[in-house]
Amino acid sequence: MRFETFVALRYLATSRRRAHVALIATFSVAGLAVGVAALVVSLALLSGFQDRIRRQMMDRTAHLRVSPARGARLEEAPRVRKVLQALPGIRRVSPAIEGRAWASDATGSTGFPVHYRIAAEPPGGAGEARITGAMAARLHAGPGDEIRLVSSRTRLSPIGPVPVAAVVTVGEIRRGSALDKPGEIEVSEETARLLAQWPAGAGAYEALLQDPTAAETAAALVAGELGAAYRVETWRELNGPLAFALRLEKTVIFLTVGLVILVAALSIVANIALTVVEKKRDLGVFTSMGAAPVSLQRIYLTLGAAIGALGTGTGLLVGVGLSLALDRFRLVPLPSDVYLLSHVPFAVHPREVAVIAVFALAMALGAAILPARAAARLAPGEAIRLSR
Amino acid sequence: MTLAIRAQGLSKTYTGEGAPVTVFSGLSFDVPEGRLVAVMGPSGVGKSTLLHLVGGIDRPDSGRVEVLGSSLEDMTPRQRARFRNDNIGFVFQFHHLLPEFTAEENVAFPHRIAGVPEREARRKAEDLLARVGLSGRGDHGARALSGGEQQRVAIARALARDPRVLLADEPTGNLDAASAQGVFDLIREQHRERGMTTVVVTHNPDLAARCDRLFVMSREGIFPSSGLPERG
Repeated sequence: MRFETFVALRYLATSRRRAHVALIATFSVAGLAVGVAALVVSLALLSGFQDRIRRQMMDRTAHLRVSPARGARLEEAPRVRKVLQALPGIRRVSPAIEGRAWASDATGSTGFPVHYRIAAEPPGGAGEARITGAMAARLHAGPGDEIRLVSSRTRLSPIGPVPVAAVVTVGEIRRGSALDKPGEIEVSEETARLLAQWPAGAGAYEALLQDPTAAETAAALVAGELGAAYRVETWRELNGPLAFALRLEKTVIFLTVGLVILVAALSIVANIALTVVEKKRDLGVFTSMGAAPVSLQRIYLTLGAAIGALGTGTGLLVGVGLSLALDRFRLVPLPSDVYLLSHVPFAVHPREVAVIAVFALAMALGAAILPARAAARLAPGEAIRLSR
Repeated sequence: MTLAIRAQGLSKTYTGEGAPVTVFSGLSFDVPEGRLVAVMGPSGVGKSTLLHLVGGIDRPDSGRVEVLGSSLEDMTPRQRARFRNDNIGFVFQFHHLLPEFTAEENVAFPHRIAGVPEREARRKAEDLLARVGLSGRGDHGARALSGGEQQRVAIARALARDPRVLLADEPTGNLDAASAQGVFDLIREQHRERGMTTVVVTHNPDLAARCDRLFVMSREGIFPSSGLPERG
């Protein structure tokens, strides 16, 4: 063990003998531990909810979307399809066709405008559709009931242009989620082509991947193959505003709860400054034995790091343990008739825990810099002379 | 005759909260290599300050200090620290042992500062404690030792790196007559055994009389006393 570490750890270990230093040291360690634990639990709570939203994004959005950089129609639809199908880990490629329609129940008594599109995952057979819970309620429709869709497009008939209509069966009703758009209906490719009067080609192509987290790599591959004439977007980009809001939410929580750590760091400054004053004579004696000023500085930086490590370690243990327990034993229940979840979910992400640990340790070390520099600048002769 | 310590034109003024206090001005002090030198003088004339300047733990406002032929002024703080660790040992009046550490740990510090591995440093400290008559007391805390024993540990600590210059600032000033005698005997014994240059600041004329040479320090400066025959 280095001389500086040895001295710093001994100062920390024996601080309990010095009541005033011990009190401040306890506050420093406890404050840091509370701050770290609070940050871990807060981020675990956010992650618990955000992970669900992200999973829904991955489930309900195409993982890749290729559209023309200009215009509304893909010029080389077969080539785009071929490039997408050749991707490693591809699960499904489908054209993106969407439009507006008027939905009504089988009797035609209830009607309202909807936005139809081809489902990323087929809703069932060719004539089936996936609707939201809200739409099902408005149409008084359940699984197996028929819905009539009248497109905004028309087709020519002997009596002139007539609206295009299709009857679909409710194959699936989605349970409510943050990503649901109430007026959206997912239909099969055949129904969408009929309603859009678009028998071939597509405005865009969408793809599902086995591993949605590899979407960026896949997008880079596709963009490289197809060139600048096409826009390639990942599910993260397609949900950009929501993803940004989630990131922002986490950043704001990190910064606000992180203030507790800042306050704890200030008490570390007080603790180390007090130790420097109290151990002024020791600094002079160490200098007389040949310790360089940088060594004296290191003693107090190590002391700050040790307090930081103790507080951070305790905080991480408490925070991670509490988060895991809250999630595992579902200790925060939610009324199931109001929420879709039966309990508040907590998810501990190792990367976030590492960021918190580094942040807390950096704050503790940063807090030690000022008093440590003061220790290095101390006149050793004076320290010895005045401590008689 | 080679000089172990050569201090020329030293001035030192302390500027604290009150008015500046000039301790001495234009002071010169030479000590030949291998001598045991005593410095006597009334309190407040700057005897301790002189030792601090010679040992490089304080800087003069003007003047030069050369120890073993090396100018302390020409060294960086890091070089000065290294030089002190290798060549200079300090003994203080109030022993200044570090209370959080055992006697052995206190004595091992100079080695550990020099980067000697912990185990070897401890072994050397144990040997040295045995040589100053404190065998088996290494694991005692500094507070658990008597005044005389504490000063012996402080001497062992000062000798840890086998220094060529030992600076002792009133090493017996805080001890009863018997302990003071024992501590001074130890310093003299180690001085002879190791061939060091030793400067002892003391108020005790009997102990000073047992040194090779006596300097008397006053407001006017530091002068060799004619009262003692030069020995060695």
